[in-house]
Amino acid sequence: MHIDLKKEIKESSPGKIGIIILLVMITVSLLAPVLARYDPYQQSTASLLSPSWNHWLGTNHVGQDIWSRLVFGARTSLLVGFGVGILSMLLGTVFGVSAAMLGGLYEKVVMRIVDAFIVIPMVIIVILISAYIRPSILTLILLLSLLSWQGGARIMRAQALSLKERGHVAAARSFGAHHFYIAWRHIVPDLGPILLVEFIYGVRRAVFMEAGLAFLGITDPTVVSWGMMMRDALSFSYLNVWQWWLVPTGVALSLTIIGLTFVGHAAEPVIEPRLRGAEVA
Amino acid sequence: MLEIKDLRVSYGQDVVLNGIDLELGVGETLAIVGESGTGKTTLGLSIMRLVEGTVRGTIRFNGKDLLTLSDNAMQQIRWSQIAMVFQNANNVLNPIYTVLNQIMEPMIEHGLKSKKEAQDRAAELLGYFGLPQNRFTAYPHQLSGGEQQKVLLAMAMANDPELLILDEPLSSLDAAARAEVGNLIRETDKHCAKLLATHDLDTVSKLADRMAVLYGGKIIEAGPSQDVLSRPRHPYTRALIRAYPNMTTVKDLQGIKGQMARPVSGCPFHPRCTQAIDICRTEVPKLVWNQGRHIACHRGGIITLLSTKNLTKCFGSLKAIESVSLHIEAGETLSLVGQTGSGKTTLAKTIMGLHQPTEGDVYLEGAKVDSRGRDFYKRVQMVFQNPGESLSHRLSVLEAVMEPLDIQEIGTEDERKERAIQVLGEVELPRTNDFLSKYPHQLSGGEMQRLAIARALVLDPALLITDEPTAFLDASIQAKILKLLLNLQEQRGLSMLYITHDIAAARKVSDRIAIMLDGKIIEEGPSNEIITAPKQGYTRSLLRAASTLRSTKSTIDEGAL
Repeated sequence: MHIDLKKEIKESSPGKIGIIILLVMITVSLLAPVLARYDPYQQSTASLLSPSWNHWLGTNHVGQDIWSRLVFGARTSLLVGFGVGILSMLLGTVFGVSAAMLGGLYEKVVMRIVDAFIVIPMVIIVILISAYIRPSILTLILLLSLLSWQGGARIMRAQALSLKERGHVAAARSFGAHHFYIAWRHIVPDLGPILLVEFIYGVRRAVFMEAGLAFLGITDPTVVSWGMMMRDALSFSYLNVWQWWLVPTGVALSLTIIGLTFVGHAAEPVIEPRLRGAEVA
Repeated sequence: MLEIKDLRVSYGQDVVLNGIDLELGVGETLAIVGESGTGKTTLGLSIMRLVEGTVRGTIRFNGKDLLTLSDNAMQQIRWSQIAMVFQNANNVLNPIYTVLNQIMEPMIEHGLKSKKEAQDRAAELLGYFGLPQNRFTAYPHQLSGGEQQKVLLAMAMANDPELLILDEPLSSLDAAARAEVGNLIRETDKHCAKLLATHDLDTVSKLADRMAVLYGGKIIEAGPSQDVLSRPRHPYTRALIRAYPNMTTVKDLQGIKGQMARPVSGCPFHPRCTQAIDICRTEVPKLVWNQGRHIACHRGGIITLLSTKNLTKCFGSLKAIESVSLHIEAGETLSLVGQTGSGKTTLAKTIMGLHQPTEGDVYLEGAKVDSRGRDFYKRVQMVFQNPGESLSHRLSVLEAVMEPLDIQEIGTEDERKERAIQVLGEVELPRTNDFLSKYPHQLSGGEMQRLAIARALVLDPALLITDEPTAFLDASIQAKILKLLLNLQEQRGLSMLYITHDIAAARKVSDRIAIMLDGKIIEEGPSNEIITAPKQGYTRSLLRAASTLRSTKSTIDEGAL
């Protein structure tokens, strides 16, 4: 009856690899001030240097230390990723569960809004809006969250609808419990594993989006970001700097996304236990 | 002929009869019913003026107030116009006279007959009451209890009294003698009015036209005896009938909670009554005429706790329940019997507000239920069909039982815990810390069901709806759960709507049975009537198909419709 998320992830080797990658990334971003040897924003005249003892990955066109920027870039990436992951999961849960619990007109309205957002391609909207407002990190998190909770809401609603019919929910109602109590004590706890999977995919999407937007140059230019670093590096692709500027950044971004994908994939049987079929057979 | 008004008898401080009013017509038999110690004998002795205590009020016999008569005048009436058969035959008879002589004595004493006439009359009476000729000259100790009782009856009838007071006339007899003597009493002198003091309801139903139920020195219910016995309206009368072993009732025996206490303020029955309200504690209810019955109860007798009126629930085009009207009285069990899919659970859930009715209303204590808030759920609780499903797998035993209290925000955390543990004790579950922290999947089916019942009881509801509470249990555990429910009914006056497909189980626990088929109640009535005289073919087929231990080859053939 119980689905053990820890067990699901531990038992798949990609899951284990994913967890290790994520732990490394998180550690790096937390320890960024220690790992970085220079202020990532500090410009100098020593531009476009090759890697050396002083500058492990050399410097960029305005003389900033690339290693320091790479380390701080992880912070931005993960901050946006986890921020959006948490916020959109919350929004998705609140709207999905409340729609299931309250039903009626409210449910119809919420679900039609969800449908509308799902058909409109999110990337275009984000690019359009970002181009005008040049979002700071906080605004970016809000914007991405507002545009990405709908898929989760749909899944939460479907799950809540089925959980709502459980005997213990009927029992709680027969003690006089209100919707909020039932949602909080009886529905949301059982959504836990699904929330986690949704959360991980939410994070992955946000990391990807943030990098993409920064690459397009429509995020806050004063915040160091992997997307922006890749964009800068590309303009110097005729030099050999790509080896220590573009490649490490690309690898860091890819690893983060791969890590998230692995963990998410390993946890997926939680939503759909039939995915475990291969093991049984 | 006999009219008693406001009769009060006390022995010192001890008030035995506290304002008795009753009337008795010529040739009528009135039974005074009550447990031992309720003052039945005292009432009889008061009429005979043989009581030793202080007597107040009036007892009019043919217009004369017996209580104000001189001793001499009373002596004239006693044994000639009013006679009494005492309870303990062997104490009453004089051991040194033969029985024939003892019967002759009152006739001669009252100067009604000569010795010869008296002897003939005595022999005739003894013959009538079936004493063999060769026993006429026996001494009391040579006779059996039944024969002594017959002698007493003959003695009482010696002077053709107008009123015969019988104090437990049959209780010392075995069943065969009881039937014989009972018949004799009924047949003897139809003009003689009889006042029958007894605790034995069988005697009442066989002999009495009317009955009055005595409790704590007061009459609490009076009416035609068949009527009262089949439809008691006072909680005490019903409890008394439930406690009486007989061949009519199909429900298991149930006692009455607590013990008779005297004196009490207010209604004498209120400490044991399960529907007592504040006024019952302070004011004595008057015996009033209420729909064909005299009842002394502030609440007008047993109240109707919950009723439904034309309750209909449709799922799309499917009518799951259709125009269901039924009522559940306080402290009774109504069984809802029907096959799977007949709409039993839908009815229960609609009453609970888990489904919105398509049409019709639910009434709680006479008030229409519009929206169900915490107050409704404090009064009405439900035990769901599958305890494993209805208990959240995330809540421990203690948390599960406390949940209703948490939701209703009753008391402090500690009080809730205390209450939860107390209820677990009531359903006979362990109360160790180890058990309290167990989770449902660690419990057996029987334990889970008990836990579900405890959880429903923790709010102290007046009505418990149990939906197939034993469907997942084996017979021995089912028996325990059913016993538990009956005990709870006895202790708390819990009303129950017991939903089952098993009519054999229903008959053991229910006062009334309603048969449900295709969403409709097709038959409803007292359990014994449904079991012994079903009107509908479907009910008969349910009964034929019910569990039995006899070889049933033929019934199975019949039952295959």
